[in-house]
Formats: sequence, C-alpha cells, structure tokens
Amino acid sequence: MMRSKSIATRSVAMPPADVTALPTRALVWLVGSFGLLLTPQWDRLPLWLIAACIVLAAWRYLAQNGRVRLPGKWQKTGIMLVVIAIYVATVQGRFTVDTAASFFVLAVGLKWLETRTERDFYVLFFILVYLATVNFLFHQEIYWAVINLVAVGLLLVGLQALNAPELPRTMASGWRRLGKMLLKTLPIVILLFVFFPRMAPLWSVPMVSGQARTGISDTMRPGDISNLAQSSERAFRATFGGELPAYRDRYWRGLILDYLDGETWRQGEKEPLGRPGRVAVDGGAGNLEPGDYDVLLEPTDQIWAFALEGSRAVSDNVLRSEDSLFRFRRPADTSVRYRMALTPEEPATDSPRVPDNVRRYLQLPAEGNPRARALAKRLAETATSDGAVVDALLSRFREQAYFYTLRPPAMPDNGIDTLLFDAKRGFCAHYAGAATFVFRAAGIPARVVVGYQGGDPGMDNAYLIIRQYDAHAWVEVWLQGQGWVRVDPTAAIAPSRIESGLRDAVAEEGSFLEDDWASPQRYGDLAMLQWASLQLDRINYHWQRWVVGYQGQSQLDLMSRLPGGMGLRELGYFTAAVVGFALLIAGLVSAWHLRRSGPRDPVARLLGQWHRMCERSGIPVRQGETPSRLAERIAAVRPGAENTAHSFARLVNKHYYGSGSDVAPRVVRNAMRRLLTTMGKQLSPPGRRSGPPRETAVRVKG
Amino acid sequence: MFQVVRARWRRWVNRRLPRTDKQVFSQRNIFILPTGSGVVFGVLLLVMLITGINYQNSLIYLLTFLLGAIMVAAMHQTHRNLSGLELTLIQTGEAFAGEPVPFRFRAMSGKYDAVAIALRSGDQTLEQQHVPARQTADLSIALTSVQRGYFRPDRIRVETRFPFGLLKAWSWVRPLSCGIVYPRPVAAPEAVSTVTDGDDQASARSVDGNDHADIRPWREGDLSQRVLWKRYARTGQMVTADWEGEQGSPQWLDYHAFPGVDTELRISYLTAQVLERGRSGTPFGLNLPGQVIEPDSGPAHLTRCLRSLAVFGKEKPREEASVPFGTRASAGDTTTASGEQG
Repeated sequence: MMRSKSIATRSVAMPPADVTALPTRALVWLVGSFGLLLTPQWDRLPLWLIAACIVLAAWRYLAQNGRVRLPGKWQKTGIMLVVIAIYVATVQGRFTVDTAASFFVLAVGLKWLETRTERDFYVLFFILVYLATVNFLFHQEIYWAVINLVAVGLLLVGLQALNAPELPRTMASGWRRLGKMLLKTLPIVILLFVFFPRMAPLWSVPMVSGQARTGISDTMRPGDISNLAQSSERAFRATFGGELPAYRDRYWRGLILDYLDGETWRQGEKEPLGRPGRVAVDGGAGNLEPGDYDVLLEPTDQIWAFALEGSRAVSDNVLRSEDSLFRFRRPADTSVRYRMALTPEEPATDSPRVPDNVRRYLQLPAEGNPRARALAKRLAETATSDGAVVDALLSRFREQAYFYTLRPPAMPDNGIDTLLFDAKRGFCAHYAGAATFVFRAAGIPARVVVGYQGGDPGMDNAYLIIRQYDAHAWVEVWLQGQGWVRVDPTAAIAPSRIESGLRDAVAEEGSFLEDDWASPQRYGDLAMLQWASLQLDRINYHWQRWVVGYQGQSQLDLMSRLPGGMGLRELGYFTAAVVGFALLIAGLVSAWHLRRSGPRDPVARLLGQWHRMCERSGIPVRQGETPSRLAERIAAVRPGAENTAHSFARLVNKHYYGSGSDVAPRVVRNAMRRLLTTMGKQLSPPGRRSGPPRETAVRVKG
Repeated sequence: MFQVVRARWRRWVNRRLPRTDKQVFSQRNIFILPTGSGVVFGVLLLVMLITGINYQNSLIYLLTFLLGAIMVAAMHQTHRNLSGLELTLIQTGEAFAGEPVPFRFRAMSGKYDAVAIALRSGDQTLEQQHVPARQTADLSIALTSVQRGYFRPDRIRVETRFPFGLLKAWSWVRPLSCGIVYPRPVAAPEAVSTVTDGDDQASARSVDGNDHADIRPWREGDLSQRVLWKRYARTGQMVTADWEGEQGSPQWLDYHAFPGVDTELRISYLTAQVLERGRSGTPFGLNLPGQVIEPDSGPAHLTRCLRSLAVFGKEKPREEASVPFGTRASAGDTTTASGEQG
C-alpha cells in the first residue's frame, strides 16, 4: 500500500526531464557548496581538474538560465571520455589517496552535466556530503572545518529551496530554520560526540598520501634544510607539564643519518616499513605531570616522533627504537598526539663501551674532499683525545670567519672542502655534514642528527610552536666514557640560532622567510599581527587538542574521571541511554504540544468534558448546540440531572456572556468541576453500556 | 497476502480518519516515514560513521552526529508542517464525467507555518501550498471521475516533504460532502434530434386533438399532463395517453424517448439534449422516471436538470463505517474537545 502510493507520487512529482525542472535557487546553493568543498582540496588536486570542475559547474548553471544547452548523449559521452583520459594520463597508474580523491571530485564534476531532475539533485547532495567527509580526512584545522560545515549548511539550505521553491525569502528563512534545528539538537550532538564509544578501526585503511609533505626527509643534501627554512608551516606543538625548557635546550631529535653517499647523508639501515593501518592519534590523555610533555604532531606521513634529548615515552603510541629515537608503529597521516617525559639523568642506557657497530659511524666514501681529510688527520695527530679533536674543530668554526647563511654559494665538487676552506658560508646542514665528515676522518664515531631546534611560545606561553624553519641538523660523536655527545657546529658559528632562533640568526641578511610573503611569522615586528596569529593558533590548538584529538584514549581518560568509571561497554550503554533519553524528551515535548493544541480556555475544556459525558450517557450533542439547550434535553431524558445541568449551563453562559463577575474565575471553575462530578453520577447508571443509535453519532459529528 | 495487508491497513486508516469535511491534523493522524532519499541518506550516515571509525577521525564523527541530529530535527519539522493544520471542505464542485471536479478546501494553519503542502488524490496533484502560521488559504484540487453521480473521493492525501525531502509526513482528508459528476453528453441519434423545432402550439394541439393516442395504464414517471384526468374522474383508473406527435417533443426531453437504449446511454443522450437546449436558450422540461422537471430555461434550470441526470438512479453515499462512541474529537470536532483524550 505504502509502496504503491509512493511510486504513484513519484510519477506525479517528477516532471519530464527538462533542465528548468530544478529551482534555480536550489541549484545555486548546490554549486556554491561544491565550490566551497573544493577549496580544502586545492593543493592536492591537479589544476586542470579544478578548471574542468569550474567549467562543468558553470555550464550547468548557464544551462539553467537557458543561455546554453546541456550536452546531448554523444557529446556528454565525449566529454566524459576526454576528461577521464586526461585523468588516466596524469595519474599514470599510481594509486594513492590523492588520486582517489581527485577521481571522486572528477565524478562530481561530470555529474553536473547530468543534473536534471530532483533525483540527480539528491545524488549530488549525497556525494557532496561525502566530499565534506573526505575533506575532513585531509584537513582538520578549525577554519577548514568551518568551511566544510558551512558548505554542508549550504547544501541543506539548497534542499529547502528544492522542496519549497515558491516559499518567499528562502535563504533567510532557510538559514534560520537550519539554525533553530541545530540549536535544538546541539546538546544531543555534544553528548553523542563525547560518549559515543570510539572503537578501534574496523579494518585497516592506509591513507599515506603520494604527495610529498613539507618537512624533514630521510636524506640530507647540503641545501635541503635551507629549503625548509623558507617554510613557516607548523611542524608540531609541545605542551609542557612544567617549565618550558631553555631555548638552547630545545633539541628535538627526529632521525639519524649515518651513511654518507657522495654528497648525500642517508640512513644506513632502512627503517622498518610501517605496517598499513592507523596510528593511535591521541596518546597522552590526562593531566601533564611536571617533566612530561605532550607533542601534537602535524601529519608527516612518516613514523618519526620528535622528542627532546633524554626523553622516555609515556603514551603507548610511540616506541623507543635504537639510538634513543622514537617511532610510531604506523605513519602519521593525520595529526598525532603523544606524550613523553624528560628523564633528568640517564647514565646507563647508552653504555660507555664502544658501540658494536662502530664501523657504521666511521663510514666515509672512498675518496673526495682531500683537504678535509687532511685537516682531520692533522687534528687527530695534535689532539690528545677525541674530545680535544671535537673542541679543536669547534674552535676553528668559532674563530675563523665562518658564516651562517640562508644563501650559501653553490658547492658542486668536493663540497665539504669548499665549505671548510673556501666559501666558509653555509647552513646548518652544511656544517653538520662537514663536521661529521671530519670527525669520522679523524677516527671518531660520529653521526648526523636531523630534527628541529627551537620553537616559539604560543599565547601565554602555554605551549611551544615548532615550525619548519626550526628544522636543524647537528652532530653526535661517541666519546669514550661519555657515550654519544651532542656537538652542534652551528652553535659555534651562529650562537643566536641556538639561543633565539633563525629569525635573529639571519636578521642581518634579511633572508628570513623571504619567499613566504603570506606568513605572519615573516613580520615578526608587527605586534598586532603576531598577536592575531598566536590567537588563531591557540584556537586551533585547542580545537586539535580537544575536538580533533578526542579519540579513544581521551575518551577513556575523561570517562575514568567521571564517577563510576566507564569502559567501552558502559559507554555503549550510555550512548543508547542518551539517545533514548532524547527520544523520551522529544515524546514528552510533543505530548505537551498535543495537550496544548486543545482549547487553552479551561472553561472550554470543561465544556468539552461535559459534552463527552453527555455522549457517553446517550445524549448526543448537536453541532452548535447552546449549553442551555443541551441542559434542557438532559432534563427531558434524565430528570434527575436537571438541576445540575442547568446550573452548569448557567455558569458557562455567565463565563462567556456575563458581565465581569466579582467571583474569582478559579472558584467558578471549581464549582463547575463539582457540578460535573455530580452530573456524572446522575447521568451514568441507566444507560452506561447501551449508548445511542449509531446514526445519531454520525450525524452529530458532522 | 499483500492484498489482505493492504485492505487491513486501509480499514485501519479509515477508522483513524473518519469521513469529515473538517479535518484537523495532529499526532493522531499524521504519518511520517523517510522517503527514498531519506533511506539513502541514512545509509550515507552509516558509511560516514564507518569512515569516521576507520580513520579515527573525530570531525567525521561530529559531522555524522550533526547530520543525524538534523535528520531528527527535520522529522519534527516535517511533522510540524502538518500538525495543527485544519482543512475544511468549503465547496464541492460539479463537472462532467471525465472532467475535473474542483474541491475547495480552506486551510488554516495552527501555531506553525504549514510549508509546502501538497494535496493528491489518484493522479491529481495540487503542488506546494504554503499557509503561514494562523492564516488561512484556499486550496482547490480538481479530481476527475469518469462515472456520473455523486462523487466523493475516498481520500485525498495531504503530504509535505519540507524541509529536506528526506522525510514525508502525510495524512488524508476523507470528505463527507459529495461533488456531483454530470453524465458525459452523447449526441442523440438522428431520428430523435431532427424533431426539435416544434412549438408550444403544435404540442398543445396534439394534446387537445386526442387523435393518435395510445392509451395505456399509468406507470410511474408519466407526466401528469398526459394522464387522462377526465377518465380518471369517471372510472377511477389512471390512464395515460402517449401522443404520437409527442415523440421527440421539443419541449419535453423524455427518458422514454429512446426505447431499447441502455440507461446510461439514455442519460447521456438526455444530457446532450439538455446542454443543447441550454445553449440555445429554449425552454424545456425533463421527464425522468420518478422525477419531472417542469419546462423552464436559464442557467439555474440547466444546472438542476444536469444534477438530476447526474444522480438519476444513484443514492447519496453513506458513511460505510459509523463512528464508535467516544471518538467525537477524532472525528474532527476539535473546536471543543480536541486533545482532551490523549
């Protein structure tokens, strides 16, 4: 029955496939929403695809006004084939999340040419909602979230326009209606968000993007890190339980490069490949103890976790690997939070004996850079110990005219020789590589450490913001009796880099973020801008910390603080309870509305009761009958009730038609109630069950 | 099996919505279900939830819950569109069979706007009417019936899908009053229609002449003029004279003028003749078995004749299931008692 009805309905509601069948306003919202949803994707979509989408959507919009025609079947097929061919040609068989996302966008773009009926509109609506979902996979900053949600709002307003095209002021009333709905349901949404059990992934879903991300990489050529220095993108934020460490102690170790391959430093042993799957994104819940710190890492697609020297892992989503480095189990393709703790002294972990694989840290190419090798030999001969060699090299850096610069000259052949003896201008990566080379040539086990150094405090010093331009490379040497010791040649050449950061270190040169016009960090002297930028970052930080990062660990932590400590199972029950409770409230509210939908006037209600009582006892009430008339009829049928009926009718008449009475209305109503009760007794006994003939009842209700 | 369920459902709905000319919609009689799009949307929400779980993405959870909650709010909103709306049948129309019969309703919305209300019966639709809160609007839906007679649509569906089209709330109005469907006019055969230009005198003369009369006993439906009253006074027998000259009398349109023709066709012939007379403005009378309409002219007379033809042999429909006691309020008399029993 229902089914057939709805099918009939559809056939009626569906006008023939004609372009103008869709209300223009609805279409505008849809197109607008599509445009908004594309913005978070702009950096990962190929340019041609964005252009194609704009053209296709514009085509559809113009067709709405009748200025152009939508393509016919063959033309459409042709366009589809061409676009897909371009797609296949550009993708070239790579399958990554990016290509999948762009295929998705492509499908939406092509769908525009097919949007003729209401049904197509809904198809686009569903796809665009899912596009918003996909956008959340890539971008979780608060502004992108706002853009996504606004786009979904546009879709919902568009649906309203579709379903009531003639309604005046669709836009204003649409937004207002949507806003009211949101306000009404917000408590439930929040409760669900907090209490819905955050389960483990149902199946593993790798999402490593094919796109290179800005950030340090696992190889280092002399110019690499100076490229990073041009980026003010955030690498991670760190929140400390205690005091912020001094600037010069903020060495965030990331990875170790111990193999020199010509000019390039690499990892001697490949990192074990991260298994596909997800990294737990919210390690570290609960209060920070003094000495603890939380790191909120931006996505890197790598398994490296950055940590201060002398840290140990607290949250279980990071593992300690060899060389006191820390690793995630799986690549961090979204922002990840983890918790570390600083251990004041860590004497015995790196035993002072010669490392087993010491040869690894002495590896050098067979030839090249002869002057550096000669220098190393000279230093090794003159010095009494390895430590003295290190000191000697650092003194050389300190005393001679070495410069720390973001604009180093090109050093094509024997780069280390050129750097050390001719150019004497370089960036941290140059000096770290050169120093390691010299130490190794002098027979001291040495390695390059890559990571970040520094970090600026955010608003109110609540946390440190470490940006890509804080990327740094330094050296660790193995000294007898001390183990691995940090040696930073940059500190000898440009102490300001280590004491206060890159901005000061290259202030004279004026090269700080010279290519990054839009970055607020570039304009460090504009206090207002800095303040605004930090405020924004703080909002974003809390957003990431408390909303984006609200996952299993945080939830369990929160639950454990609530009385009665809940586990996942209890959470499930609780969620069900929340939903049930919401339904109950909704039911109560609607029941209340139902009550309210009857007459408000209490006398009218009493009158209604009287009428029903009469009908029950076999005296049908006629349409439009006056109370007095009814009372007379009652008197005729049931003489026993005559007096009460007349009194009641009088009171009713007096209430409606009498002049202002000095008796309080409440008293009158109570009197009426009493009369009703009496009348009920008087009327009920004889005809309780019999009831009047049915025809009468029918006629009465007319 | 399906038929049985269907019939049962229909009976149940009819019990809930007794015939009335004034229907107030409330929780009692509004039905709400997701549309096809709504079901797909539900599936989409599920997919989104799974995406959120698999990618451990809080924002996807958030979006899913938001949209889910909005869906629930939309349910409320959709329901509210109809709730409190009062439809009163204020005019039933009259039309020829196969042509649309207009039914005019006055819609009065309750506390809230009634947005995008569509009326539908069979394949006839009245799209998208808006009635702002506490205002009235007249809606007219044209329904067709191919059969002459009293026309009372079994039920007219009142539906809204606003705001998102993901849910539909609907109910029915089951009017008590009937429209009237005139018979379909069919041109009468030649032999009859040729003799249309007689005049009063000719017919009077033939009555007076008493020449070629067929005398037969009176039977129901015979014109009083044709009864031989003199003979009745004399003998007490009612005898009617059928005048040969009267066959195809221009003044009288007679049901018996088409011997051997099926009733419905006769009615159709007569309708065509009535229309023709109406157009030309000639006075005419209508003689139907059991009913005689004296000669007259003018639109009121025309309508009267057409109505008589329409309902000839038909009975005014009665309420098939009478309303049990205690359901006065749900029968629509809500001005005094609605909501008291809930």
